[in-house]
Amino acid sequence: MIRRQWRQFDWILLLAVLIVSLYGVVMIQSAVQGDPQLATYPHRQLGFILVGLVLMFIVAAFDYRSLGSIYVPLYVIVIALLAMTGILGKSLFGAQSWIEVFGLFPIQPSELAKIAMTIALGRYLATHQETIGQLGTLVGGLVIMAPLVVLVFMEPDLGTAIVLAVEGGIIFLVAGLTLRHILSVGVVGALSVPLLWSLMRAHQRNRILIFLDPTADPDSFFNVQQALVSVGSGGWLGKGYGQGTQSQLHFLRVRHTDFIFSVVAEEMGFVGAVLLLLLLLVVMMRLWRIAAQAPDAFGQLLVAGGAGIILFQTAVNVGMNMGLLPVTGLPLPFFSYGGNAYFSLMIFLGLAQSVAMTKRSQVL
Amino acid sequence: MVTRPQRDTRIILFRLATVAVFVILIARLAMLQFFTSENYQEQAIFNRTRVVKTEGIRGVIYDRDGRILAANKARYDVVIIPAELPDDPDYQRSQELRYQVYNDLIALITDGLRRYPPVSPTTTPADNPDFIFGSNIDPAPTLLTADEMDVRVTQREAGSAFKPIVVAQNLPRSVAWLVDEGRFRLPGVNIQLYAERNYPAGYVMSHILGYTGPIPEQTINSYVEQGYSREAWVGWSGLEFSAEKTLHGQSGSKVIEVDVNGREKRVIGKETAAQPGHNLILTIDLELQQTMFEALIEGVNPLRSHSAVAVALDPRNGHVLAMVSLPAYDNNIFANGITGQEYQQVANAPGKPLIYHAISSIYPPGSSFKMVPAAGGLQEKVITARTLLNAPGIIYLPNRNFPDNFDLAQPFVCWIYKLGGKHGDINVRQAIAESCDIFFYKLGGGWPPGEFEGLGVETLAYYAQQFGLGAPTGIDLPGESAGLVPDPKWKRLAKGERWVTGDTYNMSIGQGDVLATPLQIALMTSAIANDGLVFQPQLVAAVTDAESHLLQKNEPKLIREIPVDPQNLATVREGMWMAVNWEYGTATNAALPDVEVAGKTGTAEFFDPEIPRDGRGNLPSHAWFTSFAPYQDPEIVVTVFVYNGGEGSAVAVPIAQRILRSYFDIKARDAAAGSRPVLDQLSGDGS
Repeated sequence: MIRRQWRQFDWILLLAVLIVSLYGVVMIQSAVQGDPQLATYPHRQLGFILVGLVLMFIVAAFDYRSLGSIYVPLYVIVIALLAMTGILGKSLFGAQSWIEVFGLFPIQPSELAKIAMTIALGRYLATHQETIGQLGTLVGGLVIMAPLVVLVFMEPDLGTAIVLAVEGGIIFLVAGLTLRHILSVGVVGALSVPLLWSLMRAHQRNRILIFLDPTADPDSFFNVQQALVSVGSGGWLGKGYGQGTQSQLHFLRVRHTDFIFSVVAEEMGFVGAVLLLLLLLVVMMRLWRIAAQAPDAFGQLLVAGGAGIILFQTAVNVGMNMGLLPVTGLPLPFFSYGGNAYFSLMIFLGLAQSVAMTKRSQVL
Repeated sequence: MVTRPQRDTRIILFRLATVAVFVILIARLAMLQFFTSENYQEQAIFNRTRVVKTEGIRGVIYDRDGRILAANKARYDVVIIPAELPDDPDYQRSQELRYQVYNDLIALITDGLRRYPPVSPTTTPADNPDFIFGSNIDPAPTLLTADEMDVRVTQREAGSAFKPIVVAQNLPRSVAWLVDEGRFRLPGVNIQLYAERNYPAGYVMSHILGYTGPIPEQTINSYVEQGYSREAWVGWSGLEFSAEKTLHGQSGSKVIEVDVNGREKRVIGKETAAQPGHNLILTIDLELQQTMFEALIEGVNPLRSHSAVAVALDPRNGHVLAMVSLPAYDNNIFANGITGQEYQQVANAPGKPLIYHAISSIYPPGSSFKMVPAAGGLQEKVITARTLLNAPGIIYLPNRNFPDNFDLAQPFVCWIYKLGGKHGDINVRQAIAESCDIFFYKLGGGWPPGEFEGLGVETLAYYAQQFGLGAPTGIDLPGESAGLVPDPKWKRLAKGERWVTGDTYNMSIGQGDVLATPLQIALMTSAIANDGLVFQPQLVAAVTDAESHLLQKNEPKLIREIPVDPQNLATVREGMWMAVNWEYGTATNAALPDVEVAGKTGTAEFFDPEIPRDGRGNLPSHAWFTSFAPYQDPEIVVTVFVYNGGEGSAVAVPIAQRILRSYFDIKARDAAAGSRPVLDQLSGDGS
């Protein structure tokens, strides 16, 4: 039999996440100081952390296997929310992606989409392990992914659409996608590029072009240049907390979200930045550990989806801060300011803890 | 069928991939923070620091009575800083908010201009298109339309959004203040203040003062080495150029820390304050300068003459009291910056308005030169004051090789011969008074050959040089010409010809190749008037600091003592007195009721392919008159030159008379009022 045991709760994982989160609050404080409009952000982020913790524990308290029975309504609701954003959504940052839910805080349906897709795809592939090598299973999984990715892309939120696609890919890979199918998906994808390209509108194409070549957009180019200067001028120990000239004099833009890693590198130096990266590495390694020890395929895929999201977003965000990857506006997990992203990450964390508390060794 | 171990293997692969990603990120971080860190640190410093140079205010220029000749005027422009304009994620809304700012600003300025129309300029150009070029009317206020503003803002936003865009220029101060008061509801709008050079007397003083402009490209480095900022304006001509070091203030500098919008956050390190430049007090009397300008412009027939000059010097100290050159230009047109086309238009106008003919152009002096052979002849004892020479109206210089062949002899005539007369036996005073050419042919070159030797060319050239001809006077202005005193060596080198007696004849009456600037003729006259003491002409009498403390007083500078005995110079002066005061004199129109005037006319023939000879085949001629007054104890020298003016006595004399009259009128009025020039108050010894 399987017994859920709080003894198995991964406290190291939670501790690492909490340190990263509080480190984030401290750095958000530095990034927004002197800006009266953003003065409350550190406190708000603290609030998000508390709400996130509650969410995590609630999710952790449920047996993840019970999700298998509600994944269909969850998936349908998220699709409906995504579709509704076009009608009800408030326009913010140019993207129709916010919807008031419960009148408490705005939840981005695109964040919910990450969770819904992990659950739905994970469940589908977990129950189709026997036929994983067959084309039908592959197509079935893609059919589950497609509406979410397309709707999020239409919002338009290219960054999250890419995250969803990558997340789906990681789940597929862990689930055992055969090499033959990996190659064929790649070929079909490559062949469909011209078709998709021709279906897109001019502004959508433009968005992708700028994504691929940020120098085409002088604003992004400026931001990346300033991020490089910030990181590069930090040195060993940095310029001191609250003393970064690049961040404090606002040469660095969107300091509290997209470019917060540059603030860390500038003010806290190599030591502070590596500490942050190592903490995130701990988070991920703990997640992979849980995945490896999960009692069943569904649990493994759930945790792998979450770990994949964190890995991908960390790599893209930090890579962007250091001029390695294009500017996407993806936040640094657990660290950048923002409630929605934090909540969805904490839900993933809750799922992971739920899986952790249901160990294979207890499967009789 | 996927088995559990297969999934586990894949998870292990993902663990490895995760570690690999972190290794890459940390490696990149180390590369940026260790290996290229120095470069980025420099960039960070470059980002946040600016060296701000503030120009010291340029010195003010006053006339001898303390009237302002050159000062600084504020110019108000309105600018928009795109980064500070209202912004909204919704493009439509953003544009709405911005257009509201544009339209409010336009309404405010338009309304302001209606309520406070621009004040009319301090001086209005005289209605004389022949001699005054360039309008000194203040540039009209300009204002962009809302759409023009938007285009510029959109263009600038792509680049440097914090750099201001000028949307309205040359606003009256009251309107600028209105905009300044309204700024709380006009985000992004700002006022910019410029100090602009302003010359209240405009064209009347333009040649002396000159003008300023941006540092010329080729000299920019030498100015920067002297501490100028690259955007500084420097003197381009006139005193603005020659007194640049005095007038230009010390620029101050500070290093500031700025934010991304270029806003100053704090000052780093020591700040050096800008120092204003020093002020100049000129020897010029603006009132006399103005009268001189009017006298000249009204006395010159624009159909004949495209240019004319008048000079007034104080022979006792070399002070230039007034010096006008026509045509004139208004130097205020340079204050706003002038386009190349406008510049060419003024520079190439007939008579070349930008050239200060008084010091830069050289002309044959004609009979005004005759004092030189007269003084030299007396000093060398070629003649005495009583020597009578016969002046028949025409003489024939025998051919060198065939002295007995009368047909080959060259005729030399007196001006009076053309009118059918002759001067007969006359002495040197009469010869000056009547401007007898034959007398001076004989005096200079000798006649008849073998009987009367004359001065000879070498001695004549020597005295001409002693009187200051053939060399710059050294006045404190740029662009002075040396003129020319010809001699046999010069002729051999320049023309490859031998000097002949006929050349000496021509030179004796100021023709041939003798060339002089009007200032040189005035200086020559002042040497005669001042018993042979020549003071360097000077324009800057004193230099004061910004608080009017005297820093430097330019004492009169004695540059030469003419090697001519006082009694011989007295004889020359008597001749000049007779020219004005004797019934047969050539300059009787120069006489004043209360003051005794002495002078010498000149009618200098010149060759200009564009000006045809008259009906009787005579060459065109410049009109000259050079004079001093009072006859006893002279205190002013006035020299008038009119290009292609014709007879000196008819054209130049009345102008000089009017200038002299004004001088003595002003003097009498000031004496009655008991006022003393600022210049004298500074020196502490009133005169």
